[in-house]
Amino acid sequence: MPAERIPPGSDAPAAAAARRIGVQIDGVTKRFGAFTALHEAWLKIEQGTFMTLLGPSGCGKTTLLNLLAGFLEADGGEIFVDGQLMTETPPYAREIGVVFQNYALFPHMNVARNVGYGLAARGVPKREIAQRVDEMLALVKLADFGHRKPKELSGGQQQRVALARALVIRPKLLLLDEPFSALDKNLRGSMQVEIKEIQRRLGVTTIFVTHDQSEALSMSDRIAVMSAGRIRQVGTPDEIYRRPTDRFVAAFVGDVNVLPARLERRQGDQASVLVGGVRAQVPAETIEGLAPGAAVDLFVRPDALAIGEAGGGVPGTIAAHVYQGSHVDMVVDCPAAAGGRLLVRVPGTEAPGLWPVGRVVGIGPTAGGVAFPPEAA
Amino acid sequence: MKTRPFLALFVSPAALAALALVAALAAILQFAFRAFVPGSMEPGGLTLANFAALLRPLYADVFLQTVAICLMTALATLIVAYPLAYAIVRSRSIALKSFLLITALTPMFLGEVVRTYSWIIVLGNSGFINSILLAIGVVNRPVQLMFTTFGVVVALVHVTLPVMVIMLAAALSHVDLDYEKAATSLGAGPVRAFLTVTLPLSMPGIVAGVTTAFAWTFSAFATPQMIGGGRVPMVSTLIYQLGFSSFNFPFAAALSVTGLALTVAVLALAKAALAPLERLGAH
Amino acid sequence: MRRPLSHRLLGLAGRLAVALVVAFILLPAVVVTLSAFNDKAIMSFPPTGYSLRWFARAFSYKDFATGFRNGLIITAFASTLALLVGTGFAFALDRYSFRGKRTLEAILVSPLVIPHFTIGLGFLILAAQIQAARTFALVIATHVVLVLPFVMRSVYVSLRNLDARLEQAAASLGARPGRALVTVTLPLLLPGLVSGWLFAAILSFNEFTASLFVTAQATQTLPVAMYNYVREYADPTLAALSVVYIVVTATLLTIANRFLGLGKVLNVEHAR
Repeated sequence: MPAERIPPGSDAPAAAAARRIGVQIDGVTKRFGAFTALHEAWLKIEQGTFMTLLGPSGCGKTTLLNLLAGFLEADGGEIFVDGQLMTETPPYAREIGVVFQNYALFPHMNVARNVGYGLAARGVPKREIAQRVDEMLALVKLADFGHRKPKELSGGQQQRVALARALVIRPKLLLLDEPFSALDKNLRGSMQVEIKEIQRRLGVTTIFVTHDQSEALSMSDRIAVMSAGRIRQVGTPDEIYRRPTDRFVAAFVGDVNVLPARLERRQGDQASVLVGGVRAQVPAETIEGLAPGAAVDLFVRPDALAIGEAGGGVPGTIAAHVYQGSHVDMVVDCPAAAGGRLLVRVPGTEAPGLWPVGRVVGIGPTAGGVAFPPEAA
Repeated sequence: MKTRPFLALFVSPAALAALALVAALAAILQFAFRAFVPGSMEPGGLTLANFAALLRPLYADVFLQTVAICLMTALATLIVAYPLAYAIVRSRSIALKSFLLITALTPMFLGEVVRTYSWIIVLGNSGFINSILLAIGVVNRPVQLMFTTFGVVVALVHVTLPVMVIMLAAALSHVDLDYEKAATSLGAGPVRAFLTVTLPLSMPGIVAGVTTAFAWTFSAFATPQMIGGGRVPMVSTLIYQLGFSSFNFPFAAALSVTGLALTVAVLALAKAALAPLERLGAH
Repeated sequence: MRRPLSHRLLGLAGRLAVALVVAFILLPAVVVTLSAFNDKAIMSFPPTGYSLRWFARAFSYKDFATGFRNGLIITAFASTLALLVGTGFAFALDRYSFRGKRTLEAILVSPLVIPHFTIGLGFLILAAQIQAARTFALVIATHVVLVLPFVMRSVYVSLRNLDARLEQAAASLGARPGRALVTVTLPLLLPGLVSGWLFAAILSFNEFTASLFVTAQATQTLPVAMYNYVREYADPTLAALSVVYIVVTATLLTIANRFLGLGKVLNVEHAR
């Protein structure tokens, strides 16, 4: 691809050393009547980053996206894009591209006019519009579709048009509002790869809103996990998955088991906890202030648990086997665990033979987890 | 502060139209309290005589008869319109749906004169119905249909049918067919499913349809004038007669004001009386 | 699976009921058509012979021609004005909250239930006070007020069915509100606007009761001319004219349904 498509100054190697802030959200609050949809959100996003806002519906992620786009007005706080104050700027002057959940393609215009709409609004000469639209359609692999109407396209093609339409204006920021939710599962995977590739090539700062944690983990440079109108944790996908700093994040991202444990001792930034007599290593930062012997909740992934003979670890009874090809998910009835059940992921396929349904076993952690103070009852 | 581009541009013409309507109604109200000066278009001084005259049995009877005709027409229209509205909403064939919809709507757009004239040819002594009845020997002299309350009501049902169908169909289209299926799957027969599910859920449409049909019937002029021929007096024909035969505009205005008050009262009463029924369908 | 006999009988009864209602609606149209082609001045069934003489008379009768011309002038102005006024107000209703919004809406839809003779009489008295009783302006103003509720409803329903995200998309792409209105909102509203105008035009052209009060000899519309004709003559000329009316109106509605989807405009079926 020719180099001139890359917006000047965004991701050239020389500039990489001193990355600038692309989006800065300073204490932004939004209320709808008595309901606070967004509670003092603070977030800094470096230029060129693919940032995901992840959370269940009603967590405030869509509200934040609408505030960024200018479709809503904040009740407090400021938003900066590329260092410019945006809070008072109307949507049409923000230079922000949006890909909507239903794509919102103009049904009465063909693909070329949809993509060229933003350029026409800026008074770009016709010939240049045609040229830039052609380039952008080629980039999203729809070179020969300019004359089609949106309803003559498949869901995946409509999404590419929506992406091309948002990118052709060379936005300072690209917003993606759950763009994959309308696609079937097979198409979803390939569109994710494609969008990520295009985003990296153009180096455009991107904010992606989703409730799908696997989508978030696979696509993002960084993730902000949100719940109940607050940003809970911001980090790389690995940090979010491996080192959640918040109970909600630990429970929301990935499968997790919660076991009652006791703090044994603290050593620097690590700590050890005991669960059913078995020791597990956890980061110390999430249980600061707790004394040795204090009760904690140990959050541990299904692949960080092992099944052993009864008598060791936490007692449980095998309830079901779920064959998954490369591994087997063992469902274990365990009165001590939160929810009364544990999920143990055992590599290979021998586990069901070794531990038949109904066998009384002992479960213990094999690798670390994360501990949090018990929830106030 | 939320911006509201073009607000003044959008609202001020509408406000002007509303102002004209309010001024027209105010003009009637003002005339209703003025004395009639025979032989002059200009009204005299302030008086309550116009309203006092309304209490005379002659005029009070016209009011009662008008209300009776309006009620009969509204209920008859409901019974006639319901099957058609149901068929329009539930029909699976698009061609049939379109045919029924256009059939139901066309009369509304024809206007009262064409429709009423057509009914004169149907109901007249040498008209369609009597010709058939005479030809097959059911009767040996024409049945009097013109100039009767029955004839007026039949033609009025035809006038109010389209608006009733629209309102019922709008309500029925919001009643999911799955509710009926669910009721049937729970062992209800089709009649029971209809009476316990569809009918209560379409109640808002029924209330809207009946009250609108009542108001439209009250408003009808050509039908009672042409089919009633003066022998089925209604408020509308009386007002026209007073205005354009006697030029007694103050009294016509008083009748109009009273008629309007009556319409509003009946609509409010119907709304209040039917509110419990309407709540049935609100879920 | 066969349904029980009682269910099938019920279905049959339902169909029969619909057929009877359709027959009731169509009966006057059929009868008036038969009588329009009758060759005698006195109605009789079945007609003894056929002729087109009543059509010829309907088209040559001077009052009808004048009424038709007046009707066209009044309808063109009234429905276009009502479209402009109603569209603007439907926009404001859908998008904005402002003081007096509900009051203004209630006043503007009230002609649906206020008797037309009341509105006609009111406008006549009002016009008489400003010496405008015999003008086209009076008739046009009356008609605008009468058809406005239909235009407002038609445009409002279309606006409700419009995806708000399309306008947001236009804004995010740099279109100012005026540009978004002209390039996105209005084109997508076009079916609603056209059907609103068409409803208004047909209703205005055929309006009778209020017109009887507000028209004078010079501004008399076709329905008023027809009413006056029935009072003087008993021949089937009016039947011939009625046939023309029925054919033109049904054709217009069929075209409207084909291109605009009356079901959606009237909200009796859900937009997909």
